[in-house]
Amino acid sequence: MDILTSIEEAVLKGKFDEVKNLTQQALDQKIPPNDILNKGLIQGLEKVGKLFECQEIFVPELLMAGMAMKEALTILRPILEKSDIPPVGKLVIGTVEGDVHDIGKNIVSMIFSGSGFQVTDLGIDVSAQKFVETVEKEKPDVLALSSLYTPTRLAMNDVMRLLKEKNLRNQVKVIIGGAPIDQNFADMIGADGFAPDPPSAVRKVMGWLGK
Amino acid sequence: MKEDKMFQDRRARINELRAKNERMTCRERALMGVKHQEPDRVPIDNWMVPEIQKKTTEYFGCDSYDELLGFLGIDFRNNYGPSYVGQSFKKHPDGTVEDLWGVKRKTVVYGKGTAHQGSYSEVAESPLEKLKTLEEIKKYDHWASPEWWDYSKVKADCMVYHPKYCVINVGDRLDRTSQLKPMMYLRGMQQIFIDMVMNPAIVEFIRDRIIEYFVAYNHRVFKSVEGEIDIFMMGDDIGGQTGPMLSLDMWRKYFKKAFKTYIDIAHQYRIPVMYHSCGDVKQFIPDFIECGLDILQSCQPKATNMDIKKLKQEFGKDITFQGGMDIQHVLPLGKPEDVKAMAKYALDSAKKGGGYIICTAHNIQIDTPIENVVALFEAYHEYGNY
Repeated sequence: MDILTSIEEAVLKGKFDEVKNLTQQALDQKIPPNDILNKGLIQGLEKVGKLFECQEIFVPELLMAGMAMKEALTILRPILEKSDIPPVGKLVIGTVEGDVHDIGKNIVSMIFSGSGFQVTDLGIDVSAQKFVETVEKEKPDVLALSSLYTPTRLAMNDVMRLLKEKNLRNQVKVIIGGAPIDQNFADMIGADGFAPDPPSAVRKVMGWLGK
Repeated sequence: MKEDKMFQDRRARINELRAKNERMTCRERALMGVKHQEPDRVPIDNWMVPEIQKKTTEYFGCDSYDELLGFLGIDFRNNYGPSYVGQSFKKHPDGTVEDLWGVKRKTVVYGKGTAHQGSYSEVAESPLEKLKTLEEIKKYDHWASPEWWDYSKVKADCMVYHPKYCVINVGDRLDRTSQLKPMMYLRGMQQIFIDMVMNPAIVEFIRDRIIEYFVAYNHRVFKSVEGEIDIFMMGDDIGGQTGPMLSLDMWRKYFKKAFKTYIDIAHQYRIPVMYHSCGDVKQFIPDFIECGLDILQSCQPKATNMDIKKLKQEFGKDITFQGGMDIQHVLPLGKPEDVKAMAKYALDSAKKGGGYIICTAHNIQIDTPIENVVALFEAYHEYGNY
């Protein structure tokens, strides 16, 4: 088995020490870092996503795969940056004001990061103002908003309103997620889309960016 | 009860339907339903956040929430168990307060300055999250103790509602009999999920402290009430919106044994058991039935695989369902006619032969318009009769 396939397998099994070691070995073998990311790590992550979507693996396994990616990227990211390889895209993410639930948001954050995005994670209970200031400063391609409760999802509307007020709405795509979110709600508040789970969020955003 | 014409008019429809449908006490009706028999109408339970309790109480001109429950024809009354007499919960300078398990909690306000402002008590810090080894975790000294409760008044509290109502021993939302929930609070949700893969010994150690506590606690509660609890409720969220949060294999490995132990204890005292889990738990239902579970609560209709019609067809002869009304979309965002259609669908699908208690899948949330709350209860009485 070549080393990129081994990396893919290790991501799939969520073995983060192994993923990190194999990534280092691949670099030592002079495999281009972009190939390690795209032909090894991301391949593994895509398979994990598919297994999650058909309910063959669940939150613990998805979390492990996300963490394995994170470990590998601690080595790979600085090298990619030095080689002037641009990130796939820029994403700002957070749980909206009044809501402190973050396991779903954290997995989404890890998986975007693992898929080659530059991710700014603002954490939990983030005000509309903070989201909009960050969009203004970092100019991300995508803003991702999360909530668990139905009353807290209304805070997403405040973010949309403020983006419009600051004339930033056309500069950033907005994706929303969390248990009480569906397409109807995304349409109601004028978000560009919603995703029911982390893998489909990545797929949707990749589609927007034409990747 | 306020007797102004406006309030009388608001109450008229429910009063009229109840007078037409009802021929037995709430308790008789509820217990028949649980035993898979058809009473006069489908038993009704009610879950609401306090803000909606207040709003609905005022809307119908009732003087108290208890009076509202009486008017709405709610067949169940909650018993919250013994009174806490342990050391007072430690308050920290940052405003957080420790709970029963020593987990720091804070009040988080949502919808600040809007009509739907409310709050929840949330975990601020999980005391075991940062600990690396089992040895470190073993040194933790804030495991809850059954000695911290006064069990002497539970019986009298339940008797207040007898013989008219069916009493559910529900515990508190944060301290309800469970396994995974306190583990999430103590260790952090993310870390405990990782532990389930990486550190089984840590999972088992924390879990066993929780089980020891609830086993001793529930024995004392059930003994003290001498038959005055009609239903025991436990709860542990293992379902997510689009599928279970953990695999059936993992649940069997870590949680099935004590799930059955908890049920067996209640059954020793001849108390039927209701279990709450949000989300998609369909794959687990055959195991729940095998463990002797009597009632599965939530039946969250917007979660995958939780359509009440299909659940009833597949498992209805072996288990009672409670819930089925959507609080995520239909109640907060739909129109009264959508709410009525939802209730009619569930009742038409699940009431036949008993074994169905209608209720919302969780608390009616603060963002729900009052006209939808009214439509919900009217629909319960409109379509619930046998």
